[in-house]
Amino acid sequence: MIVRTGLTGPFPRSESLVAATRDLDRGRATAEAVEDLYSRTEGEVVALERRLGFDTITGGYLRWADLFRPFAETWDGLTVGPLTRWFETNTFYRQPILHAPPARVKGAIASRLPPALRDAPAQAGVILPGPYTFAGLLENRSGEAEEALVLRLGRLLADELKELTGLGYATFQFSEPLLVDRPPERALAEAVVTAYASVHGAAPSATTLVWTYGADAVPAFPLLDRLPVSAVGVDLAETDWESIPATAERRGLGLGVVDPRTTLVEESADVVRIVHALKERRRPTAVWLGPGGPLDLVPWEPATRKLHLLPAARQALARDDGGRP
Amino acid sequence: MTGPLFPAQEIGSLMKPRWQILGQHGDPLDDRARAEFASANARTHFAADAATAAEALLDGRSKDAGADGVRDLGALFALRLFETAGLTRVYDGEARRIEMYEYPIRQMRGFQFQGHVRSFDNKYYLKAAVTDEVRLERPYHVEEFDFVRRHAHGVPKLPITGPYTLADWSYNEYYLARRSGWKGPAARRAAQREFVVDLAQRALRPTLAALIDHGCRVIQIDEPAAGTHPEEADLVVEGFNAATDGLDAEFSMHICYSDYRALLPQLLEAKRCRQWAWEFANRDRDGRDGYEVLAALRDYGDTREVGLGVVDVHRDEVEAPDLVADRIRRAVKYLGDPSRIWVNPDCGLRTRRLDIATRKLEAVVAGAALARADFERPNA
Repeated sequence: MIVRTGLTGPFPRSESLVAATRDLDRGRATAEAVEDLYSRTEGEVVALERRLGFDTITGGYLRWADLFRPFAETWDGLTVGPLTRWFETNTFYRQPILHAPPARVKGAIASRLPPALRDAPAQAGVILPGPYTFAGLLENRSGEAEEALVLRLGRLLADELKELTGLGYATFQFSEPLLVDRPPERALAEAVVTAYASVHGAAPSATTLVWTYGADAVPAFPLLDRLPVSAVGVDLAETDWESIPATAERRGLGLGVVDPRTTLVEESADVVRIVHALKERRRPTAVWLGPGGPLDLVPWEPATRKLHLLPAARQALARDDGGRP
Repeated sequence: MTGPLFPAQEIGSLMKPRWQILGQHGDPLDDRARAEFASANARTHFAADAATAAEALLDGRSKDAGADGVRDLGALFALRLFETAGLTRVYDGEARRIEMYEYPIRQMRGFQFQGHVRSFDNKYYLKAAVTDEVRLERPYHVEEFDFVRRHAHGVPKLPITGPYTLADWSYNEYYLARRSGWKGPAARRAAQREFVVDLAQRALRPTLAALIDHGCRVIQIDEPAAGTHPEEADLVVEGFNAATDGLDAEFSMHICYSDYRALLPQLLEAKRCRQWAWEFANRDRDGRDGYEVLAALRDYGDTREVGLGVVDVHRDEVEAPDLVADRIRRAVKYLGDPSRIWVNPDCGLRTRRLDIATRKLEAVVAGAALARADFERPNA
């Protein structure tokens, strides 16, 4: 069985970066000094990802203020809006405001990817907002219906993938917490499927993941199983894994086994047991193991500690599989 | 409630004056801080009860005033500010507190601080994990309350962070680790219930009992995390009941920036809660009636008091007394009984400059007077 590991969202900032960015806001540090620390800290995250044998490297997305900010700050039609709670967490994002049909700006997102990824794009994990979550969480003043907006964002993200694959990037994760928090129905659900078909059509050879988190994914599985992507990921702290349905459709299965809501480190034996059971039930082409959601809900040190679960689980699964990686 | 309609009360923290921050650090006051001190003292005479510390501070000897002496002055300043504005229930603006999570947790055993988590942009908060059974080191806020009680002219009303919020803002290791196997949704919920109840019984309850022993009669339990997970409203209630059951004080529950309807009717099971202190002014704009949610209390037949948020703490624009009065009238329309209403800002005013906070408090009192005149007029 193929087992892949990696981050599925931003990594927390180190304590020194926390202090430096605070100092920057208070006028006690220079932008150059903070920039230098960002680079060094990204280097540390990449080194950690390599040490843990992750299949994708992210650099932690430490500079991204939230999932949408690079888009809200660069795409036409969008501006940065008010502070808004991020699902059921004590963290917040600035809600993008859509004033007119959005249009991407060439090169804008590529330039906002962690600089550490640019040297090795083939190994990079590019994390982007999924079209449904993006459309559902912005304030839509454009007058466009939500279904149409999901389709439009699907096309824009497809163009983004086209550009990024041209630069050598090959693995893309679409963060879609809203797909499980508020599963779409009827026409909206069809729009989501079509949006991902656009994405697939733009980069058919790319590896694409839809990663859901923050709520029980079981009710969304009928839709998740229809998405034309390489794998769908679910948050196992919120999803009763025993209720994940069987499927005839063979694709990758992402399992969020590192719970970002607690500093308690998970047991690899539990992960192995769950993977074996789901392997029987869903016969996935590959299993992707990662955090259930953005790991920056815990501080740097416990986040680092918790990630060691992933190589341990992978190793145990390989042992069970006769030593094959 | 007896006495005039629509009495005003404090609801939370105030911004610390510049002279307090400089003084606490042992730094001499600059001209701006000195001017702010002089202007506030001319209006409220707050420094009279801590003359020695005030003299040292103004004399450029902050270190001689001492951090505690400066905090005393800060507490007196806030107390007098509330009293001068015309509030009936007052406190010290949380002048001695840095925030509402770290301090209580540091009064307990069983926790380990883990580091900072980003709230948004470059704003962070420190977060602890519960790694052992919760134990209270010693009841907290007691000295703070004693000071207020000694100096207050109004009725002291103490705010304290509730057990659900303390649990929600911590990582649950100890209670989760006691469950075997994969920690899925059911295990997490059961572990969180144990954590909330332990915090309520072992930390909050003895602290509340000590405060009551010291004469504290009016206590506001702050549960800002309640709105984060509406499906856990029953845990909020369980924590509240476990902390307050059998204790003799007037308890209120403050929840802000939430979808209150999503918390009902579970929240109504908070047995000893006498008042709901919620935020409304924040949502009363752009043609929306922010007070309409009160109809839900009426629909459920709940007849408790309401601490009515009538000024928005996130905007500098100071509400006109007419607007405040209009908000009170609308609240009466939904609740039916004007005698159930206290008035207050939506939440703590610490995000506003002190001059704006003062004017907003004055607007609360002036608006209440206008509304009172309506309802107390014969045949009104």
